[in-house]
Amino acid sequence: MDVKEAAGFSRTINHITSTYRKILLNPSYKYLFLLLGAPVHLVVFFVYMIQRNHDAYTAVVNRLRNEWLSSGYHLKLQEEIQDQLRRKAEFFQQQLSSEKLKRETERLAEQKFQEQLHDEAIKEMQLNGQSRLTFADTFESLIRRSAFFAISWIPGLLMYLMIILYSYPLLKFISERLVMTWFVILGVSVLVFSILYMSPMNPAANILGVTATQEQIEAFNRLHGLDQSYWAQLWNTLKGIFTFDLGKSFSGNEQVTDSIARKFPITLTLTVISLLIAMIIAIPIGIISATRKNSFWDYSFMFIALLGLSIPNFWQGLIFILGFSINLKWLPATYSPGNWLSMIMPVIVLGTALTASVARMTRSSTLEVIHEDYILTAKAKGISSRQVLRRHAVRNALIPIVTVIGLQFGAMLGGAAVTEKVFNISGIGGYIVDKQFIPDIPAVMGGVVYTAITISIVNVMIDMMYAFLDPRIRSRMKQY
Amino acid sequence: MIKKNLQQSQQDRFRLKSSPEYSQANFTWVVSLALALVLLLNSFAWGSLEVRPVILVLFILYTLFTLGQGALTYQIRRDLTRHGEIRPATRRWGYAGLLSLLTGNVFLTVASFNLIKKQKSPEYTISVYMLLTQIFVIALSSLNMFKPYVSNGFLPGMGILIAVTVFHLTALLLVAKYAHQHVLPARLKWLALPLLLTAATGNLFAVVLGLSLLSKIRRSANPGATRWADVWIKITSNHTAMLGMFFIIFLFTISVSSLLTFEYSFAVDNNYSAILQSPSLTYPLGTDDFGRCLYSRIVFGARISLIVGFMSTLIPVIIGGILGAISGYYGRHTDNIIMRALDILYAIPGILLAIAIIAAFGANTFNLIIALSVGAIPTYARTMRANVLMVSTYEYVDAARAFGSSHLSIIFKHIVPNSLAPMIVKSTLTIGGAVIATSSLSYLGLGVEPHIPEWGNILKIGSTYLETNSYLAIYPGLAIIALVLSFNFLGDGLRDALDPKLD
Repeated sequence: MDVKEAAGFSRTINHITSTYRKILLNPSYKYLFLLLGAPVHLVVFFVYMIQRNHDAYTAVVNRLRNEWLSSGYHLKLQEEIQDQLRRKAEFFQQQLSSEKLKRETERLAEQKFQEQLHDEAIKEMQLNGQSRLTFADTFESLIRRSAFFAISWIPGLLMYLMIILYSYPLLKFISERLVMTWFVILGVSVLVFSILYMSPMNPAANILGVTATQEQIEAFNRLHGLDQSYWAQLWNTLKGIFTFDLGKSFSGNEQVTDSIARKFPITLTLTVISLLIAMIIAIPIGIISATRKNSFWDYSFMFIALLGLSIPNFWQGLIFILGFSINLKWLPATYSPGNWLSMIMPVIVLGTALTASVARMTRSSTLEVIHEDYILTAKAKGISSRQVLRRHAVRNALIPIVTVIGLQFGAMLGGAAVTEKVFNISGIGGYIVDKQFIPDIPAVMGGVVYTAITISIVNVMIDMMYAFLDPRIRSRMKQY
Repeated sequence: MIKKNLQQSQQDRFRLKSSPEYSQANFTWVVSLALALVLLLNSFAWGSLEVRPVILVLFILYTLFTLGQGALTYQIRRDLTRHGEIRPATRRWGYAGLLSLLTGNVFLTVASFNLIKKQKSPEYTISVYMLLTQIFVIALSSLNMFKPYVSNGFLPGMGILIAVTVFHLTALLLVAKYAHQHVLPARLKWLALPLLLTAATGNLFAVVLGLSLLSKIRRSANPGATRWADVWIKITSNHTAMLGMFFIIFLFTISVSSLLTFEYSFAVDNNYSAILQSPSLTYPLGTDDFGRCLYSRIVFGARISLIVGFMSTLIPVIIGGILGAISGYYGRHTDNIIMRALDILYAIPGILLAIAIIAAFGANTFNLIIALSVGAIPTYARTMRANVLMVSTYEYVDAARAFGSSHLSIIFKHIVPNSLAPMIVKSTLTIGGAVIATSSLSYLGLGVEPHIPEWGNILKIGSTYLETNSYLAIYPGLAIIALVLSFNFLGDGLRDALDPKLD
């Protein structure tokens, strides 16, 4: 091993050990970490227990104890404490039996003796520039031996992975977010399942009709596993969600996940296109409104935006169909995949509310940003106002806008149910609405949960975007 | 010379900007023009190519008033630039503008009322809107006279409404004469008590006016404005917020007074002799496929929309507020557990959660309210938590803690009252969303029971007659938009008044 390599190795070790110490300081990560690297930690602990008995601190304490014991210091301490206790008892007019007094004295004296011993030892070690051996010290000394380092990767792979994740703030943030998302998805699945399980409705009777016999209903329930206990059904459903197999729907005899996989892309395409168009329209409008505050354009744009927020999707869709399909005959009234003309109306209807709220948000956040001190500084430097706006204002105003887009994306995926029914689009929203009348529990469940999962993933991506957009957030992340 | 000119133009611009009459006059003629254009477009039946005389006359009247308002705006502008203030002669033109009330142009009427009086106390503005609400309710109720029969309570109902209106007019005149910015004669308290009683017709402006008179009389010895008085001054000077509030209270009043003056059977009973009729005097907005009067249905539908909208905002505000306050105050593990649990609710889009709940428990009004409420809890909890986190760092909270107050009393006496303002703003801004969600779910067949006249239900029927009887879908939609827009305007105004930084 040449010098350069050795330096590199030592740097890696330093990096690992400093992260190791940091993790042990963090109470919420400590136990998970100890558990993940249990085999390695056991070895380290064993070595630590041995080394502890021979470290500098133990030596000093032992020496001091011998000195104090031989000088009779502990007897003096005992007398002092006994005196104090007696006087205290006198003051409060309590009767103390001699035996109790003796026991109490010994306990307090021992406690005080140990305390003073510890303090004195620490003080002396500080004077000599030594410190007490810790668990992390042992780990460090062990890991410096390349043999231990190499072998410990086998049982401690998880532990090292965690150390790597922890040592990069962005990675740590992302993995924390992903873990949270996983729990949210699990929670959503359990919640939606429980709501549908509590349903007082009887799908079997609904589907089989009034003439169904008791045996037919029982057979139906057995076929779809409705006769099992809550926990068994919950387990099957959760397994189904994570393995993309929710079984067959109650009516129509189709694989639920297949239907969802067929319908979901349609909804997602529409939503993403509306999202893009909304951003292209709304952000410039918001910036124009903010830079010309209280002008005619500002008032008009903001009034139109407020109007856009107040129009129900389905009404807007109906009016569009009435105007552009029935009266003017320009656009087809129903959506058919592949015909981009039929896409125009649904995209506009779906995107109206988003355009309106993004425009309003852009206006208010730009207004807030252009009163900040750094904008004044930029202007004072002599940068043209267009440049100031582009380089400093808009970039910093983007954070709240991104938040609104993230929030609205969920609302759009949900609201798509209404738009899809108006334009007769066979997307996921319309599917859920159709199936809930039965109620087709696996289909409703799958539709709602997969939509929620998509939204959660989008939210994770939005959170990551913050870090790329705003250096302030990035630096705050590193301070952890 | 040039410098003087520049100074002059700057001064002019400032005067024009700071004059509420000028900005309102501008706003009014633009809106009147827009309304006139809408009437013009509708005065001509495009399908059968014939002129609708009633709407054409209305269009001409609107155009005349718009021209008058335009001229008046120019006059105000000239007054402000030449004299620095609006001359009394110009203000007197406001009396002519009051005639626009006959055409139902509420924008122009309000602008005229504001022009007439130079010193406007909030009480004056509120009493103007109170009177307008009453007049509009009477006008809409009297349309029922053209029906084959009226409800049993129609005559006494109209009698009460007219009596109340006369009283409100007296109140307006008294307030205009005696109520000044800060001092009020104590005699006016004899006006306040009956005003509170007239609120039984649903006119909540009367409550606001009565309470504000009483509190002003009580404070007249000590003219320092409290925070709420300040808020009222700001809101009453915000035209759009007041117009929003006017429409909401107007709808509420007509929902209450429709108990007497409207006949419920026209809205729900089938009448096969009058199926799918176009708008006429008997059926002002036409009839649907069961011969039910669309006008009555929309009026009765306002009740459901308001109730569902309010309830499905109030319930999550209370539950979310309590959860947010607890998690913000106690912090650490409590906070973590509550907020993580709410994150789960937050991940499901409101409409989809509502659909799932309704799929499980069936479609009816009660389930609809619950379904809409559950999805909205996390947003309110987050708002409340953020406020509580901020407020609990204030010194008066430390002081209360030092006095040995219990946690509960600190939360409910000190923290919650001081973090309510953003919650109020948030709830007025989102109540419109609840109204839209209600009607959307009804449109999908998941909301209110189909036989109840609710705006979404009416629209659902209307959507099947889009080609032949499109008014069945247009009018209820306009009603929904007007209500939601009103809530949004009011919410924006409240936000500006309570917390200008919040968005």
